[in-house]
Amino acid sequence: MIVLNSSDGATFEVEESVAVQSQTIKHMIEDNCADTSIPLPNVNGVTLARVLEYIKKHAEAKDDEEGLKSFDAEFVKVDQASLFEIILAANYLDIKGLLDLTCQTVADQIKDLTVEEVRAIFNIMNDFTPEEEAKLRNDHAWAFE
Amino acid sequence: MCVFQSTINYFPEEVLEHVFDFLSSHRDRNAVSLVCKSWCRVERFSREKVFVGNCYAVSPERLLSTFPRVRSLTLKGKPHFADFNLVPPDWGGYLHPWIDAMVKARANLEELRLKRMVLSDDTLDLLAHSFPSFKSLVLVSCEGFTTDGLAAIAANCRSLRELDLQENEVEDRRGQWLSCFPDSCTSLVSLNFACLKGEVNLAALERLVARCPNLRSLRLNHAVPLDALQRILAQAPHLVDLGTGSFVHDPDSETYHKLKNAIQNCTSIRSLSGFLEVASRCLPSIYPLCSSLTSLNLSYAPGIYSNELVNLIRHCKKLERLWILDTIGDKGLGVVASTCKELQELRVFPFDPHGVGYTAVTEEGLVAVSAGCPKLNSILYFCQQMTNAALITVAKNCPNFIRFRLCTLNPTVPDAVTQLPLDEGFGAIVQSCKGLKRLSVSGLLTDQVFLYIGMYAEQLEMLSIAFAGESDKGMLYVLNGCKKLKKLEIRDSPFGDVALLADMGKYETMRSLWMSSCEVTLEACKKLAMKIPRLNVEIINENEQMEASTDDKQKVEKMYLYRTLVGPRKDAPAFVWTL
Repeated sequence: MIVLNSSDGATFEVEESVAVQSQTIKHMIEDNCADTSIPLPNVNGVTLARVLEYIKKHAEAKDDEEGLKSFDAEFVKVDQASLFEIILAANYLDIKGLLDLTCQTVADQIKDLTVEEVRAIFNIMNDFTPEEEAKLRNDHAWAFE
Repeated sequence: MCVFQSTINYFPEEVLEHVFDFLSSHRDRNAVSLVCKSWCRVERFSREKVFVGNCYAVSPERLLSTFPRVRSLTLKGKPHFADFNLVPPDWGGYLHPWIDAMVKARANLEELRLKRMVLSDDTLDLLAHSFPSFKSLVLVSCEGFTTDGLAAIAANCRSLRELDLQENEVEDRRGQWLSCFPDSCTSLVSLNFACLKGEVNLAALERLVARCPNLRSLRLNHAVPLDALQRILAQAPHLVDLGTGSFVHDPDSETYHKLKNAIQNCTSIRSLSGFLEVASRCLPSIYPLCSSLTSLNLSYAPGIYSNELVNLIRHCKKLERLWILDTIGDKGLGVVASTCKELQELRVFPFDPHGVGYTAVTEEGLVAVSAGCPKLNSILYFCQQMTNAALITVAKNCPNFIRFRLCTLNPTVPDAVTQLPLDEGFGAIVQSCKGLKRLSVSGLLTDQVFLYIGMYAEQLEMLSIAFAGESDKGMLYVLNGCKKLKKLEIRDSPFGDVALLADMGKYETMRSLWMSSCEVTLEACKKLAMKIPRLNVEIINENEQMEASTDDKQKVEKMYLYRTLVGPRKDAPAFVWTL
């Protein structure tokens, strides 16, 4: 069993065979940095719990394609802030399947939206000047559409 | 005041890039690159697939400086009416400058998809030698090359997965281009040479198929006989897409018997085409494939008669795409309607466009299909006659059309029953089909049809007009109404200067406008070119005296204008005058 410590002090136990789905954790174990527990200062407790839910499910139901598909579909039905935390955690922990799943989910939200809609949905500030934006819009529309 | 900033603003660049990896459409990628400066930068440097809708709207150098990591390029050259021989040869659309620039920039080109471009054997040779990871070449309606160019590709592209030639004009050099695939080439997934006119080395072809275990799509030309097909299918039972060559043999022979067995082993075939030459008694051998087919293209198979077509189609219950000749007749389309409940796309081509006195398909066939196929969303229909009533019924039955192209064989034929123009019929189509993106109209049409189009076709992106309308008002309705219009092509219609000049800024929102045999004068074209400098206004005049003449009032035979970032092109031939 491996012990993981989240950034906010929560501890989680997980089997090593499951935990190594995270390449980051796998390398730490191999490099013998996992004596008592592995600190994960970049992941908070709530998010780490979710990530563990994912890797546990993918370890136990490895061959059940249908089951995993529906699990994954349900798994990403979370609010935007949580989804982004999971993405950052999956990136830090280097869990390919989870990163692909969550990035695909965000991409699906972006598909077919206008620029303004994308900005709104992700609360992103537009730092182009009106002239810069107009020129870029033009160039892309004229050349690459 | 605290402004909430989403976590996405703090994503490391590689994570943002990873999200963008899942956005395949160029429209989505263009949208995300406008969101903010950091997204723009990440998107630019990670875009690998680039789409260029008009090769003269941007330069190769500009493409490479904008998207330095480009690996897959789609390029379109000549305007669509080139398919109807309205664009003279040597007009342009050359591939060479693009390959040249990519070589100089050491781009890692892997895929090239070209439509209506001109490329020489030298260009293909340069391509073949310059890009070690080159995987995929798709050429649609291109010209200028020979089988020697194909030989260079075959011989030198070590990682080639796809060589797909659709409807190209390829000079046959009687070389052995197929034999040029080295023995080490085992990576082919898709090979389509159906449009080639010459002989191929059958032994080389069979050996090639045998050593490419990933081959899933194979379309042969007419020079591949049935016995070779049998041997090929025996080696490639995992094919998903098959285009047969010649399908003629003695059905009592052992070869035919072996073919039947080979076909029965090909349980993955979902798409079928070819039958460039066919003996009808051999057709039953493909019946076992029919029940799984989702795509069937028999538009190059005039040898299959109507009743055989119908027998074949009766087995094809899962068909989503059907391309056939009008020899199928209205009755045959009735069978399609009752059998093919999954049908999404139908194209009915004229067997003999200049034939006299034989019945092609009429409005009845179209109505039947619209009633029987609830998923129909794309149609190209060459027909002998049409009625408003039929079009109104079709509109009611199929509100989901995305593409609707009707071509009456006589371009100005009125409603077959009432003798009225077909305005109301097309009006019903645009009113009902709210998602319509592409429309071709034909038959007797007044300005009224364009009033309807301008009023209702809100999503329309491409419109083709021939021999239609009565006055400038027609064209004005379209230009004023269709906000999403990208391509407008007009021939032999009475639209002139008033329509052309009413809203000159509109053309900067469109990819291109083609007008030939209309009423537009040289003076108006010059005015437009002067007022909107970022348009290339090309006058195509095979009578070279046009430039010298001072008569601006003369009508322009062919005009093609398009927005561009890079000014007048430098490769225009003498008969093209950019104003």
